[in-house]
Amino acid sequence: MSTQTPTVHAVPQLDVHAIRQQFPILGEKVHDRPLVFLDSAASAQKPNAVIDCMANTMRHQYANIHRGLHWMSERTTEAYEGVRDLVADFLNAPSREEIVFTRNSTEAINLVAHSFGALLKPGQAVLISQMEHHANLVPWQMLRDWAGIDLRVAPITDDGDLDIEAYKALLADGKVALVAITHMSNVLGTITPAKQIADMAHAAGAQVLFDGSQSVVHHKTDVQALGADFYTFTGHKLYGPTGIGVLWGRRDLLEQMPPFLGGGDMISTVTFEHSTWANIPHKFEAGTPAIVETIGLGAAIEWVNKIGFDGIAAHEADLTTHALQRLATVPGLNIVGHPRVRGGVVSFTMADVHPHDIATLLDRNGIAIRAGHHCAEPLMRRLGLSATARASFGIYTQKEEIDVLADTLVRIRDFFV
Amino acid sequence: MNTSTTERDALYDRLIVERARAPLYAGRFEEADARGDGRNPLCGDKTHLDIVLNGHHIQDIKHQTRGCAICTAAADLMAEHIRGGSVAQALELSGRFRAMLVEPPPSVVVDDQSASLGTLEVFAPLRSHKARIRCAELPWIALKEAFSHVDG
Ligand SMILES: Cc1ncc(COP(=O)(O)O)c(C=O)c1O
Repeated sequence: MSTQTPTVHAVPQLDVHAIRQQFPILGEKVHDRPLVFLDSAASAQKPNAVIDCMANTMRHQYANIHRGLHWMSERTTEAYEGVRDLVADFLNAPSREEIVFTRNSTEAINLVAHSFGALLKPGQAVLISQMEHHANLVPWQMLRDWAGIDLRVAPITDDGDLDIEAYKALLADGKVALVAITHMSNVLGTITPAKQIADMAHAAGAQVLFDGSQSVVHHKTDVQALGADFYTFTGHKLYGPTGIGVLWGRRDLLEQMPPFLGGGDMISTVTFEHSTWANIPHKFEAGTPAIVETIGLGAAIEWVNKIGFDGIAAHEADLTTHALQRLATVPGLNIVGHPRVRGGVVSFTMADVHPHDIATLLDRNGIAIRAGHHCAEPLMRRLGLSATARASFGIYTQKEEIDVLADTLVRIRDFFV
Repeated sequence: MNTSTTERDALYDRLIVERARAPLYAGRFEEADARGDGRNPLCGDKTHLDIVLNGHHIQDIKHQTRGCAICTAAADLMAEHIRGGSVAQALELSGRFRAMLVEPPPSVVVDDQSASLGTLEVFAPLRSHKARIRCAELPWIALKEAFSHVDG
């Protein structure tokens, strides 16, 4: 064998079989069929690395953090705070103090709506897009109603891309203080041109928040290269536990913002008359946090890092291409959204078969997908639909599973038509 | 479907598929004595009922349903069952239909005429599909709403 180094950068192939062995749930049967799990965009399954780490924390090294003067508390605090370093590195954040732990993405966005929102003045505006999850829509409506700001909505094209010209026009009067847009749509799969969105926002004097709930799972995230001011994600979609999410925010912004929740851990001094706030990030972390879940998120990030985003992104791009090809051969099937750049999420409808009937019949065959409005009702209305079926892919998804999906969809259509 | 026919086909009885594809009581009446709407905010399904009454007698009924097969067939079979009867009979049937979906099946089969729900029994397997019970109930919710405006 030649030892010559290849001139082309080779993308590492994932050993999907070996990866699957690390997810005990993938060996389960549903309705006597092997589980075909195509709903990772709703929540991903958990590898042994995460399960064992959390169980071992509770078995061997657990106490409340930041408060105890004893060995267990100090070790647990180290483990918890160590995850802040991991997350800072994961997002390429300039500093660990800019990482705020929340319950999920929803809470991270609510935190910004509340605390950054408190700095806004009537007449200023927040700009979102038509393809937002309710998590990045409802908090801004609530802010609009109590702060008297405007809420603007940038349209999407029929293909499911952000309409950049319209976006530019909505920024033009300089009143937009914050752009809050998804980095990847959970319905259309669209990966938005984040750098361009951020540059245009900054040129118009606005800050920008990206909802990274879907996108951090599929490729390497670099908040500095994107030019983001805020970035959020949620642990359970990243092969980690529920109950833990992340807000990254630029230091100067976080320092200006008032706290979100009040209580223990977020204060510096307290008298009956008055309290002063702890420094960031603790100012935003009131009360005992999700200690075990945060440590579990750390295990998930280390596990994903070990596999590497080059391999993950290539695997998921391959699966998505295969899915689009296979689904196109199913009679009556219509893919919803044809964005320029997309991740591993494919929504579809079928002539004469309602998405809920599709989901129920797939489930009878052990195939788990999601059907409904996917927490994006205004987007559904924009698309002229009431619901779609959605298959989504993860690290452990196999091409054969997509084939099973496509074959079963053909039979479902035969059954109904 | 050609595999594992047993349970799957028990859930989607042929009658459900047929009525979803070609409902017999779909449409609107321009003049109706009672109208009702049902909406499932979780999935966006909706059904609208137009009812022609003669006193407390249901002379005719049509439904306009945008929903899944189970919801559409449930609306159509409901219309078929309550047409020609009284408002009180329809409400009584509604109670028994709901009981069939949410209550455990009786361990002893009492083959009593009045307990039979006829073709509505095609929905009985939903008992083990909690997430879909709402689909079959939606038209009955709309019916209740329609009758709430009828003084009785
Ligand atoms: C794009 C997007 N944003 C936000 C969320 C909310 O995530 P969570 O429910 O974990 O807060 C989700 C997932 O449901 C999502 O897909």
